[in-house]
Amino acid sequence: MRQISAAYVKAVKELLREKAALFWTIAWPIIWVLIGSFSFTGSTPQGVIPYIRGAIAISMMVFALMIAGMSNLPASIAGDRANGLLAKLKSMPIKPYRDFIGRISAVITLSLLAAALVIVVGTAVGARFTGTGTEILQAIGFVFLVICASAGVGLMAGTLIKNLQGAIMTGVGIAVITSAISGLFAPYEVLPVPLQVFSRVYPISSAQASIVHLLAGPEMVAYNPLTSSQIALTITLSFALLLIGTVLYSRLGWRLD
Amino acid sequence: MFAIHVENLVKTYDSRRVLDGVNLDVPEGEFYALMGPNGSGKTTLASIIAAVKMQDSGIVEIYGKKPAQAKESIGYVPQENFSSPKLSGKENLIYFAGLLGYSWSQANQLTAGMLNKLGLSEQADKRVDKYSGGMRKRLEVATAIFPGIKVLILDEPTTGLDPAARRAFFNMVQEIMNKKTSIILITHIGSDAELASRVGLIDNGKMIAEGTPDELKRKHAVEDVITVETAMKSDSVTSVLKDYSINGKVKESEAGYKIYSRNGDRVLADVVRNLDQAGHKVMRIEMARPTLEDVFFRLTERYLQEAIE
Repeated sequence: MRQISAAYVKAVKELLREKAALFWTIAWPIIWVLIGSFSFTGSTPQGVIPYIRGAIAISMMVFALMIAGMSNLPASIAGDRANGLLAKLKSMPIKPYRDFIGRISAVITLSLLAAALVIVVGTAVGARFTGTGTEILQAIGFVFLVICASAGVGLMAGTLIKNLQGAIMTGVGIAVITSAISGLFAPYEVLPVPLQVFSRVYPISSAQASIVHLLAGPEMVAYNPLTSSQIALTITLSFALLLIGTVLYSRLGWRLD
Repeated sequence: MFAIHVENLVKTYDSRRVLDGVNLDVPEGEFYALMGPNGSGKTTLASIIAAVKMQDSGIVEIYGKKPAQAKESIGYVPQENFSSPKLSGKENLIYFAGLLGYSWSQANQLTAGMLNKLGLSEQADKRVDKYSGGMRKRLEVATAIFPGIKVLILDEPTTGLDPAARRAFFNMVQEIMNKKTSIILITHIGSDAELASRVGLIDNGKMIAEGTPDELKRKHAVEDVITVETAMKSDSVTSVLKDYSINGKVKESEAGYKIYSRNGDRVLADVVRNLDQAGHKVMRIEMARPTLEDVFFRLTERYLQEAIE
């Protein structure tokens, strides 16, 4: 337990002291919440605008979670490998999975901090949310799935790409491209059919649609993401990505030759 | 039982034998230097002893156990700076103490004492990216000397440090070490290796000589080392000096020209006279006893620095 807490505290401090990580994870999504919240035409019904703002805030919150998992996590792994820390750790009596739990807990902490700040700013600029207590808990469950899937992708990038800049850029690239093509930045209904299929299969966009459905209203999502089969698919793929990332990291992440 | 026992160790990368049947025994409390050029296999040997890499064949034991089962006893300081630049010195040490299982209060107490011993107390709360190279290396050595460490492996710890900082670094290491701790120093710097009680010379994955620094010099380097500095450097200086070098080689460096010669006392006067006749003004000429770098040269016919380049 002490090894996990040591790895956690180190990773949290490093993340909170890394200006680039804070900018891309917290400031960038907030900027887009602000831009998105003030760019409505006069034809948009006034009563709907707060919920559209809510949906935008949720999308940007999901994007923040993606950046935290897909970019900050591999940056932490690749950075430690590049500066020789993994070689040092291999010579010490610490198991890779304990280091992994510490790291991922730190990313979850930053993710939740970013998510909370994005939602607070969104609310401050007029975003409104609906939802019963149960629906809020369900939405938190989907947030957790986004974190799992993003961390899984981040672990893969950090393990397979040995170069620090390469790992960061790969993570950012995956986050930005998959966000763009899965409807995180654009309404689902404007996507071509193949991308609509991708949007339903990709666990992060599916989870985002579910959170919007639960907290901004079903009319903000062009399909129902809360069917049993859709939820089962989202849960399965989220955990599968995390599992693959974890196995790769434990088996290969500490391999030095 | 030896603190470190290595027997017939073999390691291959891409069909190249990096370690080729290396044998090594280090008793408890010994300061052992492993000296060789880059690519000689010394870092690979250190990382196998430190449980970071696996050998292809051969035996490696730390107090009779495989390195992977003796990690509690190993303190390894890799060549690269591994401390986190975003954390303070104290935070770095507390992190490593935590990995070794010390509670927060134990870690705080322990690291305060270590920082004090290392002379880093005043910089304890400063971020490591504000540390000098020497301070950072001292901090990293501290991560490898927690109680219970019996074998300390230092891989090129003084690279990038000036001579004064190097001396201070080794004084610090010797002061803080428990008398029972065995130290392996990996280096390509002869003056660093001179500080060890025993030195192993490694080249192309093989141990080519081993002994105390004095033994090695007595046995393998019988020549005198003559260093000549002239007002101007030119090929004609080299051609004059060649005649006095036992192997016809003249090494040129910022400090001047260097040759190995027998009967140095007699040669010294001849060198000055002949350079003068050739029109070269001698600014400085000196003769010295050979160093460990000269021993390496004598054994391999290559200068250590040449081999590194």
